Amino acid sequence: MQEFLPYLSQLIYSGVSGFAHLIPEIILTIVFILVIVTDLFFPGKKSSAAFWVCIIGITISAVAVYLKNPGLIRISLFNNSIIIDQLALSFKLIFSAVTILFAIFIRYNKALQNHKKGVGDLYMLLPAVLIGLNLMSMSASLLMIYISIEMVSIASYLMVGYASATAKQTEAAMKYALFGSICSAVMLYGMSLLYAFTGSINIGDEAFLTGLSLVSEPAVSLAMILVLVGIGFKLSFVPLHFWTPDVYEGAPTPVTAFLSTAPKIAGFALLIRFIEPFTLFAETHPDKELFDFKTALTIVALLSMIIGNFSAIWQNNVKRMLAYSAIGHTGFALMAIVSFSDQAFTAILFYLGIYAIMNMAAFMLVDRIEEQTGATDVRDYKGLGKILKLEFVCFVVVLVALTGLPPTAGFVAKLFVFSAAFQQYSISESLWTFSLLIVGAVTTVVSLFYYLKIPLYAFLKESESELVPTRKSNGIIYVVIFLSALLIIFGLFPDILK
Amino acid sequence: MSLLSLLIFFPIVAGSLILILPFKQRESYKYIALATVGLQILLSAFIYFNFDGNAFTGIATQSNYQLVERLPWINLDLGSLGKLQIDYFLGIDGLSMPFLLLTSIVMLIAVISSWEIKANLKGYFVLLMLLNTAVMGVFCALDFFLFYVFYELMLLPLYFLIGMWGGARREYAAIKFFLYTLFGSVFMLLVIIGLYFSVIDPETGSHTFNMLHMMNPANYVDGSIFSLVGNQQLFGMSARLLGFIVLFIAFAIKVPVVPLHTWLPDAHVEAPTPVSIILAGILLKVGGYGILRICVSIFPDATIDSAWWLGLIGVVSIIYGALNALAQTDLKRLIAYSSVSHMGFVLLGIASVTAEGISGAMLQMISHGILSPMLFFLVGVIYNRVHSREIGDFKGLALIMPKYTTFIMIAFFASLGLPGFSAFIAEAFSLIGAFTSESVNGLLPRWMAIGGSLGILLGAAYLLWTLQRMFFGETILKGGESWRIKLSDLNKREVFALTTLSILALVLGILPSLAFDKMNGSVLELIRLVSLK
Repeated sequence: MQEFLPYLSQLIYSGVSGFAHLIPEIILTIVFILVIVTDLFFPGKKSSAAFWVCIIGITISAVAVYLKNPGLIRISLFNNSIIIDQLALSFKLIFSAVTILFAIFIRYNKALQNHKKGVGDLYMLLPAVLIGLNLMSMSASLLMIYISIEMVSIASYLMVGYASATAKQTEAAMKYALFGSICSAVMLYGMSLLYAFTGSINIGDEAFLTGLSLVSEPAVSLAMILVLVGIGFKLSFVPLHFWTPDVYEGAPTPVTAFLSTAPKIAGFALLIRFIEPFTLFAETHPDKELFDFKTALTIVALLSMIIGNFSAIWQNNVKRMLAYSAIGHTGFALMAIVSFSDQAFTAILFYLGIYAIMNMAAFMLVDRIEEQTGATDVRDYKGLGKILKLEFVCFVVVLVALTGLPPTAGFVAKLFVFSAAFQQYSISESLWTFSLLIVGAVTTVVSLFYYLKIPLYAFLKESESELVPTRKSNGIIYVVIFLSALLIIFGLFPDILK
Repeated sequence: MSLLSLLIFFPIVAGSLILILPFKQRESYKYIALATVGLQILLSAFIYFNFDGNAFTGIATQSNYQLVERLPWINLDLGSLGKLQIDYFLGIDGLSMPFLLLTSIVMLIAVISSWEIKANLKGYFVLLMLLNTAVMGVFCALDFFLFYVFYELMLLPLYFLIGMWGGARREYAAIKFFLYTLFGSVFMLLVIIGLYFSVIDPETGSHTFNMLHMMNPANYVDGSIFSLVGNQQLFGMSARLLGFIVLFIAFAIKVPVVPLHTWLPDAHVEAPTPVSIILAGILLKVGGYGILRICVSIFPDATIDSAWWLGLIGVVSIIYGALNALAQTDLKRLIAYSSVSHMGFVLLGIASVTAEGISGAMLQMISHGILSPMLFFLVGVIYNRVHSREIGDFKGLALIMPKYTTFIMIAFFASLGLPGFSAFIAEAFSLIGAFTSESVNGLLPRWMAIGGSLGILLGAAYLLWTLQRMFFGETILKGGESWRIKLSDLNKREVFALTTLSILALVLGILPSLAFDKMNGSVLELIRLVSLK
């Protein structure tokens, strides 16, 4: 202890000064407490007070993130365990937007609203999970990575099991919690190996990287793969995707929408953070290759695209289908990660931002249609297009965007990712990257096949029963219209997002 | 707002108007559509008469395009890689101008024949207007990104038009059409990206999607994938040749050529009459136009290298399509296969890279764009009356439907290449091109021209045989007396549409210079570009 004394004041100073950069997260912490208190004293019928506190609080924190934006260069805080840069800020904005959409979604979801527990506790989880997501995009040390992932995971376990009534839902919650804890245990083991090799938990440290370069290659690879397992669970790439279809189908639809969007995007942010030091190291020390991330991620991307998209063809449950398609999208976005350049980051940010809009909108529509008609199977959508016109027209826009066709933003996003991969190919001329491009193109055609099943049943097939579902207007439809309009506007004028 | 933008986006405005009009006003939708198309005809006729074919030779030089409109559209800073620069870039030359007029005329016929559509009118006309915008856009766009946006925008309205208002197997036909086309165009996207990274805009120094810059070898970055000098290899094959093949396949699916044609009989047969008219009349031409504007102009070297194969595919399409048409028992399927056969001449003409051949190919596209809507319209007439298109179900129709028979005879004789009609000139020029190619540039052997003429002979066989089976002799109908009552002769609306088309086919057959004069300059310029390589 004595030996640290001279440094103590400096350590404390750096700790305290760091807090100035974490204002959004501090706001979220306050909001977290406020939501609990509000819901305790003003439960109301729909926990409205908690809802508004939650929305306003998150918005304020997002504004705080945004205000930080201009002219920010990279800063590291708390002894390099947190890094804040433009990339992290952009990711944080996406997380805030998704969380707000999630809150609105909860408010309009009947199943959750009618649940005897009420939704107050769910609103309480939102600021907490958002802190975790924000930290994921800023983590620069093994410890921070682990803590942030666990923060998000624990909140997610609670959400999935929140309204479980049937055996299927309980199974989903159990599966998710079990699979998640095993993955994080494996990751922790990998981290402990890395720490043992190097004596440092700071992945940006020169000591960490040089330390690793002294260890035999198979050992490093093993440790890396173990860590990637933990990240891969969040990203749900192949072969760590087994949990997704069951969990997505079993969880309440708003939760599914959230889980397939925010933690996944955070997983990408974390992956970028994790790989970054290794790539820089590889550039400065071309003779020492620590771990071949490119090949590993390429293989994962290829498998995810192929397995995700081809499995989706056989699904008839719409939520399961979207779950598999989400795996395919993960694979596609990994294509840009593989090329790891500034342009790739722009591409991936754009892709994930658009993906967040498309995915949230798609699940909102699934939920809305289920509430109106009880249909969860695509075959039950027969003839519904003529009754729920607005819903299905929006659905077509969203599906076209998911496929990646113009004039929607999905196309521009796809173009960016392809460009990033192509650029990487023309530098490296590696056959792996080329196969990414080809598989990306082929699976786009495959994805069209199953996405089009929805309009196929809704518009092209005639309904057999004369049952006319009760139409009740519901605020969520305006949100969906807004999101669909955004998809077209960003598709025609992507400059707006800059 | 310039003329071309007005031509492209006016249908969208009309479509939005239809969208907001209440359901009670549904009778007015078709008149709005008709008025829109009428205005487009006036606009495109104005463009036609003011187009100077000798001055505006287009192809690779922007100043040679008429009605150029170039506005910055998307400007994204992509960090280390400079700026993503996409222009809203429109313009017309002799290759695209004729198609604007053709599109508006075919759209007019389609709207007239839409009078028979009874279900879900709002959706139908909105989609039709969206399709109209997309097609006009494809013919005007000179920026590859913009072109691709319009090109893909055509797919979705068509999917729904075939799938919702089509025949019994409409779901299968619609998805097959969509998947085929998308398969071609996704790989096209990869080539577009490759071209983007290979080409530099000489004015700004950043990468560009501008097609005209892609046609100039000087703009290619050294060592880039499609650079002319570097001769990059992919899978042991020249990258430029591979790029050409990918683009060619994308457009060949649209044309369509054998063996990528199998979506066409299904889509044409299952589509409702107006959509078959648009499909055959315009959309197949997008394929031919794409080959000329993009494949040949951007990859002239690869065109020369693969001309023999293109010619072969053309001849095979001509003969295979005709033989298939001979074997059909469904009148609409027969006409669909005859389209495959006739579009084969387009490919044969293009492959010859001679002035006659390419002019012939262009004229064949225009001529087929007039005659095939006529044929599909005629099939639609009897199908609407008795819901049958089986050739064997009808005999001696001439006795009960004299006006109808007259138009059928005009359409059939014009299609089989009777002198005096447009198809004769078009097919003759394509064949002359193919025939002289051996002595002019040595690209195509003479037997290909002879193979092509065999197709004309087969065409005469299936058309005349059908005429004899369905229209001559004593009247025997499968449905008996009830059919005889239902099979009323043409009404005024139908006569108007068919007369318009017949006159156009006749005028172009007698005065082909009306078309040739406008496009000759561009055709010669294109050949100059290819022979420079």
